[in-house]
Amino acid sequence: MSNPATATVDRRTFLKSAGAAVAFVTALNTEPGRAVAAVDDRLAAPPSVEAKKGSDTLLRMQAELQRALQKKPGERRWVMVIDLRKCVGCSACTISCVAENKLPPGVVYRPVMEQEIGTYPNVTRTFLPKPCMQCDNPPCVPVCPVEATYKDENGVVVIDYDQCIGCRYCVTACPYAARTFDFGATYTRGTAEAEGVIVGQATADNYERAANFEYREAYARAGRDESPIGNVRKCHFCLHRLAEGMLPACTTTCIGRATFFGDANDTDSLVSELVASPNVMRLKEDLGTEPRVYYLT
Amino acid sequence: MTLKRTLYALAALALLFGVWGVLVRLTTGHENAAYGSYVVWGLWVAMYLFFVGISAGAFMFATFDYLFNIPLFKGTGRAALWGALVTLAAGLLSIWFDLGHMERIWEVYLFRNPFSVMAQMVWGYTLFGAIALVSLILVIQSEKSAWLKPLMIVGLFLSVFLSGGVGALIGVQAARPYWHIGLFPAQFPVFSLASGAGLMLVVVGLFGATDDARRPQQLWVLGLTTVVLQLVKIYFLWADFSQSLYGGIPMNVAAVNEVMFGTYWWAFWILQIGLGTIVPLVVLVQPKLAKHNGWAGWMGVLVLVGFAVARANIVFPALTVPELEALRTAFNDPRLGYSYFPSLMEWAVTLGIVGLANTP
Repeated sequence: MSNPATATVDRRTFLKSAGAAVAFVTALNTEPGRAVAAVDDRLAAPPSVEAKKGSDTLLRMQAELQRALQKKPGERRWVMVIDLRKCVGCSACTISCVAENKLPPGVVYRPVMEQEIGTYPNVTRTFLPKPCMQCDNPPCVPVCPVEATYKDENGVVVIDYDQCIGCRYCVTACPYAARTFDFGATYTRGTAEAEGVIVGQATADNYERAANFEYREAYARAGRDESPIGNVRKCHFCLHRLAEGMLPACTTTCIGRATFFGDANDTDSLVSELVASPNVMRLKEDLGTEPRVYYLT
Repeated sequence: MTLKRTLYALAALALLFGVWGVLVRLTTGHENAAYGSYVVWGLWVAMYLFFVGISAGAFMFATFDYLFNIPLFKGTGRAALWGALVTLAAGLLSIWFDLGHMERIWEVYLFRNPFSVMAQMVWGYTLFGAIALVSLILVIQSEKSAWLKPLMIVGLFLSVFLSGGVGALIGVQAARPYWHIGLFPAQFPVFSLASGAGLMLVVVGLFGATDDARRPQQLWVLGLTTVVLQLVKIYFLWADFSQSLYGGIPMNVAAVNEVMFGTYWWAFWILQIGLGTIVPLVVLVQPKLAKHNGWAGWMGVLVLVGFAVARANIVFPALTVPELEALRTAFNDPRLGYSYFPSLMEWAVTLGIVGLANTP
């Protein structure tokens, strides 16, 4: 038997949550700017966590993130470290990224590459998650004819969706295939409609057209010509989450705790310890792109 | 006259097909295009390279008349200038349809990044187009204008540098060894001149003045120019491919192999090398055939077809080789594949542009 008092509280909590969810969805259906304001009002500050020795790496990184956010943007150096020995190839990071950024078909920020080594039955598989490398010397930036892509004050390579003309020159310049083009497709196109029987295309499409919150803006996929449709898109280390004190979606959902994120300018941070490992490597270092994504092998 | 009528009829059909393509493009965006996020540039980009190459080459030939005053080419300048303008418009139209946000093209002028080769090209071609247009207006009014020669000088420099710039547009990309060729900016002006010669063969051979006694001699010189430039082109191709294969960089070797032995090997061997290079070479070295209006004109057509395929063979193969091999299977989506053949809409828009260019 559950405690009635607790049950009451649970129901109350549930009802409050449901109310917030309804308000959230309602906000999504309003103008983009208003939607952001509504969400900002509802989001409570993430709880301050204290990392203890031996505690989960996520708790430690969360605490370090809070610490890093106290600094000025130019003083921190966001890096990602991916431990390939821990990656099990579940693709949870890929899916969480798709969900977090409401990515349409054909747009992917963090695919997981798989490679089979050996001859059957003596085979092994390796997995390599590949977000944008956030290069310190990014080949994609100087080629942009309208300066729509640049390194922001945090050192993350970002795209100004409202300025990008969709020429895709940056896509060809990236040595890591980290950029994809938004063709305007939706997953639910062609979904059957049967009024009163099934929830069909209109409702599902409505969800897909609702805004995401990349770059702390509300980009609703409202029309065929409205950004981010017709734009190049890429991983941005979940800047909108970082601004709220939350780790990138791929980091928090990694079931093997293989993805680490933090401020490499903080010598006490987990990522600082990891990038100093002897078994660290970066992709295509010979190109001189200076990636900010490190792999432990 | 029969040829002109047939051409107009074909152009009208192509234009009609193009109208359908443009409507689809404008109403469905890029959804009906066959390119994706890996093979991210398709037919329209290749055609942009092709048309602006002809445009620069045609302008170079216009200077034979209005700047260098070569007697043999007197009277051909106007057609060359007209050709330069029309093909430039075709090229810019082609790349405009390729943009994700066509309505933002003005941003290239306002938020220009002077270090982007693409921005440099947009500015350069705007100036080049203006010079070609003003030159043509001056020529139509009076060929004696004092402004014509200065315009021709600036236009000539621009046609060389912009051709080189198109080479640099892809040559600066170190991420793709197949493109990262230091000599591209030097090779492309030669390609432009060669495609300009092809256009002039068509113009003089098929549509030249029937009562012009200099016509056979003009065709013979244009034919020889084409022969020399085709030989240089073959040498460049040999140099690029042999070094790539000898160097052995996997991405580079894979791209060269894709061109020669891949899915569209026939486009390279039959259209680009066979019909576009060897046949014109064999025909145009023979004085009797080279001076023949029909033979010379149709060889010009073949040269242009060869160049169109050559442009496609520069753009697509580099993109069909993954930057990281395992990307092929990392995420399944039709837009994330490494093969490409233009969709019906892409063909329609391109044919419409060709039809439009042929209408004048």
